[in-house]
Amino acid sequence: MSSLPALFGVLVFTFLLMRVLPGDPAVFFASGPNAGKEEIEVIRKQMGLDKPVPQQLLLYLYDVGRGNLGRSLMTGQAVTTDLRDRLPASLELTLTALLIALVSAIPLGVLAALKPGSVIDHGVRLFCALGVCVPTFVSGLLLIYVFYYLLGLAPDPTGRIDVFTSLPPSRTGFLTIDFLLAGDLDGWWAAFRQLILPAATMALFVIAPLARITRASMLVSLGSDFVRTARSVGLSWWRIVVTYALRNAILPVITIAGIVFSTMLGANVLVEKVYSWPGVASYALDALLSSDYAPVQGFVLLMASIFVVVNLLVDVLYGIADPRVSI
Amino acid sequence: MRLRYCGPFFSAVGALVLLLAAEPALAQSRAETLRYVTGASVNTLDPNVPGSTREAFAVSLSTYDRLVSFGRKQLNGKWVFDLDKITGELAESYDVSPDLMKITFHLRKDAKFQDGTPVTADDVKWSLDRAVTAPVLGKAQLLTGSLTSADQFKVIDPLTFEVTLPKPDKLALPNLATVYPIIINSKVAKANATAEDPWAISWLKEHAVGSGAYVIESFKPGEQVIMKRNEAWNRGSPDKSAFFKRVIVQTVPEPATRANLVERGDADITVDLQASDIQSLESKGTLKVISTPQYNSVTFISMNNTIPPFDNINVRRAVAYALPYDDMFKAALFGRGTPLFGASWTDGKPTTSAFPFPQPIKLDLDKAREYLKAAGMPDGFSTTFSFNVGQASTAEPMAALVKESLARIGIKVDIQKLPDAQMSTQINEKKLPFFTEGIVAWLPSTDYFYRNFYTGNQRWNYSSINNAELTATAQEARFEPDKAKYDQDGLKLNAIHFAEMPQIALWQPSQDAVMATSIEGYTYQFHRQVDYRDLRRK
Repeated sequence: MSSLPALFGVLVFTFLLMRVLPGDPAVFFASGPNAGKEEIEVIRKQMGLDKPVPQQLLLYLYDVGRGNLGRSLMTGQAVTTDLRDRLPASLELTLTALLIALVSAIPLGVLAALKPGSVIDHGVRLFCALGVCVPTFVSGLLLIYVFYYLLGLAPDPTGRIDVFTSLPPSRTGFLTIDFLLAGDLDGWWAAFRQLILPAATMALFVIAPLARITRASMLVSLGSDFVRTARSVGLSWWRIVVTYALRNAILPVITIAGIVFSTMLGANVLVEKVYSWPGVASYALDALLSSDYAPVQGFVLLMASIFVVVNLLVDVLYGIADPRVSI
Repeated sequence: MRLRYCGPFFSAVGALVLLLAAEPALAQSRAETLRYVTGASVNTLDPNVPGSTREAFAVSLSTYDRLVSFGRKQLNGKWVFDLDKITGELAESYDVSPDLMKITFHLRKDAKFQDGTPVTADDVKWSLDRAVTAPVLGKAQLLTGSLTSADQFKVIDPLTFEVTLPKPDKLALPNLATVYPIIINSKVAKANATAEDPWAISWLKEHAVGSGAYVIESFKPGEQVIMKRNEAWNRGSPDKSAFFKRVIVQTVPEPATRANLVERGDADITVDLQASDIQSLESKGTLKVISTPQYNSVTFISMNNTIPPFDNINVRRAVAYALPYDDMFKAALFGRGTPLFGASWTDGKPTTSAFPFPQPIKLDLDKAREYLKAAGMPDGFSTTFSFNVGQASTAEPMAALVKESLARIGIKVDIQKLPDAQMSTQINEKKLPFFTEGIVAWLPSTDYFYRNFYTGNQRWNYSSINNAELTATAQEARFEPDKAKYDQDGLKLNAIHFAEMPQIALWQPSQDAVMATSIEGYTYQFHRQVDYRDLRRK
């Protein structure tokens, strides 16, 4: 509830920002070979741009209040429909990528922290540096080139599912889950194969911050008194590292993971473009380039809401990781 | 424990085995499927909707029929559309009255909509009425063929339809073959019209109710369109249905990925690859590359003739002689196109009445400096050169060369890269002094080009030229029935163009269609998209 004013602020700010940008959507969309003044006026009216800005804002707020985010000129659909169709694609990709990143980053960070200054530590550092400094579209194209073009292992990088596979009934919008629910293993495999390369591309990029933060906070907790005590009483290595050190070190990792997730969701536009992934980020970018107001506003609102939800989730996870924290 | 661990592995193997087993059936259907990949997207099923994309045009050509369509001809060994040969599509034949004021269409007796009901003259009337009265894109297009009012369309009997013209307009008939005048199943459309939307514009955006060669199977705006063959359609050239059983039109934003897809054989055809990729694909020789000069389009370097210093004719001439044409042609297009520079005119007069035409301009810095001196600006001036992000792959290298070359005669150029919507807004408001843009005409006749791109205070008049003689000659040529006189007018217009140098025509880029070697029948169409009905697999 307390985040409502923030969301409202975001809404108004985006609305005004879009109007300030020097691009007229009506002129852009009236680009047919014969579109003249009249066509531009028709589109302007259709978008409600013929009215003064304050009135447009009020109308927009009224519509948003009723759950209507407007209509996209680009796809010709209602923005809510577009976002509902595309958000699961982005979420599925981002969650898988985050999972891959966490599963590889935490062990890497722990290993590096156990032997600081060793070959492993330097190896992890090099790997992280490479992951961060190679832009996602480069690593994406590289992965496509190797796994699709040269080796032929990966399916063609065109979206969430091979065009020849029939889709399962949509329940969650997450294809890998929908296929499982429908009991279609072939379909699941097809969807999973499509998912793995883009998810790996995104994961490569975010492994670095996660691994580095794990390493840093592991170093702190490994050097702390309780770990020394645990060592002195002769607890097993596994118990010391995982139960005592890692559990105490995980709080900053959760915070960073929350932030990384939100950033990934909005910033994975390059990955979505390279893999023709029908997600929200590439949708918003296309809309922005063509000054299609409604989708951009809808996207920003959606991202803001997701950010609020993710923050809440991070707080809840804090409580689980550290019972002293109460929300 | 160990067994459970192996579970995913076994299921993966199982899936692979199943996939392999399904292979022959899949391969069969793959051969009968055309997969077309593009960077753009289809956003509506009705091409008339304001804002519809070129990809949407291509889909509508397969889902809807028009009364007539263009024939095809060979141009330097490649098939292109033929503006002068109009053949029947839904019309079996047509008669033009001796005074050229009436066109009578005789509809095909066997033509049926995709729901099985026959196509009647009433449907034709409703569809064309819609195109000229509803707020749709067809209105402005049909206007160029003197088709402006519903009163011009008359139903004679269920299979005969008559169009009356106020003047003998050469472009009336070709206009009916363009993208917009689709023939819609009027009964279904009317049933879905509302009081606010009597022409069912919003319903038809998502539903295709035509008589075309393909039926929409699924339509995801911005992602893909899947169509299946309409077995009853027989309007193709050999009086058969279209070749492919299924057509998949898929949006793949990344050009490198599109190139990979075609090269690996996963996609069959694409027309929007980057010039550098096409070059390398062509040299590998495993794919078919058909390059057709887009003979109905031109790329310009435009100068706004009303903004100083470009209001001075000598400045425009100076710029025209200071551009490094050959280098630009190589850097921007890798030489893939038809140059419109470096012509030689023996007596200083245009050699052709057609537009676009090659002009006798080339890089000549001494001449450029002289013109600049004549303009009273021997030390040059500063200006900005703009292009839009969407054209960056060709315009960026070009802009760098323009800047470098103009610096040598003292003109300082700042390069400005604008998002597409911003660029079109500024062009519309006539705020850009110096920029590059391209134009296309669906019906490329000389007077059409001059009327639309060189007259009036409107967006497409990039150079904002206002020349009374040019305007009058272009208007006169429009209704000129005599071919010889029309050619005279064309020569005169071209001479004015060269003398005034309102903007500099650079070249006509090629349309490079890259396809699997098994694909045949590709024809360059006026809408610059692939007409799926033309294609076959060997």
